[in-house]
Amino acid sequence: MPKYYHDDPRWADIDALPQDDGGPYPLAAIAYTDEYSEAMSYLRAVMARNEMSERVLELTEHIIDMNPAHYTVWLYRAKVLSATNSDLSREIAWLNPTALRHLKNYQIWHHRQTIIDKLDSHVGEADFIATMLEQDAKNYHVWSYRQWLVKRFALFPGKGGADGEWDGEKELKWTEGMIEADVRNNSAWNHRWFVVLGGREGETVSDDFIKREIDYAQAAIRKAPQNQSSWNYLRGIVRHAKLPVSALKDFALEFATLESSDQVHSCHALDLLAEIYAAEENTWDEAAKAFELLATKYDPVRAQYWKYRQGLLRQGGVVA
Amino acid sequence: MSLVSGPGRGGMTDLPEELRLFVDKHVSYIQSLDTRKDELEYWLTEHLRLNGLYWGLTALHLLGHPDALPRHEVVDFVLSCMHESGGFGAAPGHDAHMLYTVSGVQILATLDAFDDLEARVKSGRQRIGQYIADLQDPESGTFAGDEWQEKDTRFLYGALNALSLLGLLHLVNVDKAVEHVQSCANFDGGYGTSPGAESHAGQVFTCLGALTITGRLDLVDKDKLGAWLSERQLKNGGLNGRPEKKEDVCYSWWVLSSLAMLNKVHWIDGKKLASFILHCQDPELGGFADRPGDMVDVFHTVFGIAGLSLLKFPGLAEVDPVYCMPRVVTKRCLGQ
Ligand SMILES: [Zn+2]
Repeated sequence: MPKYYHDDPRWADIDALPQDDGGPYPLAAIAYTDEYSEAMSYLRAVMARNEMSERVLELTEHIIDMNPAHYTVWLYRAKVLSATNSDLSREIAWLNPTALRHLKNYQIWHHRQTIIDKLDSHVGEADFIATMLEQDAKNYHVWSYRQWLVKRFALFPGKGGADGEWDGEKELKWTEGMIEADVRNNSAWNHRWFVVLGGREGETVSDDFIKREIDYAQAAIRKAPQNQSSWNYLRGIVRHAKLPVSALKDFALEFATLESSDQVHSCHALDLLAEIYAAEENTWDEAAKAFELLATKYDPVRAQYWKYRQGLLRQGGVVA
Repeated sequence: MSLVSGPGRGGMTDLPEELRLFVDKHVSYIQSLDTRKDELEYWLTEHLRLNGLYWGLTALHLLGHPDALPRHEVVDFVLSCMHESGGFGAAPGHDAHMLYTVSGVQILATLDAFDDLEARVKSGRQRIGQYIADLQDPESGTFAGDEWQEKDTRFLYGALNALSLLGLLHLVNVDKAVEHVQSCANFDGGYGTSPGAESHAGQVFTCLGALTITGRLDLVDKDKLGAWLSERQLKNGGLNGRPEKKEDVCYSWWVLSSLAMLNKVHWIDGKKLASFILHCQDPELGGFADRPGDMVDVFHTVFGIAGLSLLKFPGLAEVDPVYCMPRVVTKRCLGQ
């Protein structure tokens, strides 16, 4: 049901300001004169007189529903919300279905962040995020927003500061659930890194902690040996802990050997083996063979990359 | 004509005949974009108007048709989007924002119109530079998009892009900005929108672009990032933006241009990528889509053409991978 303003008595005091696009077309000839253009002409009029009122909130709501990417409307709405001392929980209640209708929109996330920050409460946010991720489990805005919540409300494991309903331990469990649902969800792996390491800038982490993360990544790799995300995570943890890559040699051999080239079940494992062999001069032949297999058989699209790494052996250098 | 800079690669000549670039169709497609004012869609995308003009104009320059849009009208329109503050909105009546300010500067640079700007807006360059500089957060070194204070490495890159074209980089704290980019580096070698955010090809492009402009590529682990970038190529030749996501022409550009900044374009299969991009054209009405069979738009059109230019596809002007602008233009502005 379209909504118009010219016959609404509550808007009778406003002279609408139609579009002037500066172009050669006479205004009346613009055939888009319909619901959207009329609403916009009322918005221009209220912005011109800097009106901050309940009816402007309704008007911006209407326009955002038609065109959520119009950033000027969001900005004006935020100003009106603040000037009219509006009930911010009502704003969140409106934002929930609006976000679901406009999954790709990003203005909505910054708006939500400023509202939640003012409300100083994350109640209901976990459920809302769950609903959003049901639509698209890799939505970048949703994950970024979740990171912001974790930071804002100190939801890091072992950090305390939370209220029991949602704390760091629960956040880690939830992240595990997301990885379990799709072990290839790179956003979920990144979030795990953020949750386990993001809150401890500069702090040294214990051996137990490192072992737990290595075990976790290795279990995930055994489920899906060709998964980039879990390998990246494993190697990231090993590097973070300043362990030598050779610590992963036995594990890599579970998925690839050079003895028989049809026993390669993961090119990531082969890549890792190549790196381990390249680190010791007496195994450079093995490294060269691994790079050769990657270039010709297991990952020929990136043949030039593997040849480059192979070439580094001859120069006596290694890829860290 | 060589395809890529790496050793032992073939040229484009052995591409199948149907994989042609339909230059004339793309030119008329871009020219037609501003004549669709009777469509609601035209007005619903008004918040992208200035970006759209930059995308269209850049595509035309790369296609070798720099005069296909009337220069005078383009300059008029761009200046009509400029605010007192020095910032630009997406269209007249829209609030100023970093993203449109950058597009405004890029268009003026491409048209060699900084003198027009000075003639019509007193201290125009300086004002734009100041608007951008004021958006830098002195604490973190990053940049906000506008007074709304959303922060993202896209805005940081945009700021350095526009300021360098204007010759006004000294207005900001470059070292702080570089520090912020470094804080967005992830364990997998990539970069995200903010510290801790997931690696994403678009953000890798903005972060590498920022480091290239500031001459700080020495801070990048080039082999590790190059490996992550080259892993973005899928069997069909297209590139994705994150692991386990679909290929897309715009991500193909962000990945490819990043590889170009690292001098590692040859780490992916350029011929397969060119073929993927060419399959995304509409041979009848012009324009490129995100992937074959989808609707075309001017955004994917410029990134498709720019990608082909980086792959040294015959007949295209050279693109600058850092700015996504014709190389002759950036050479002129940067005094190279
Ligand atoms: Zn795209």
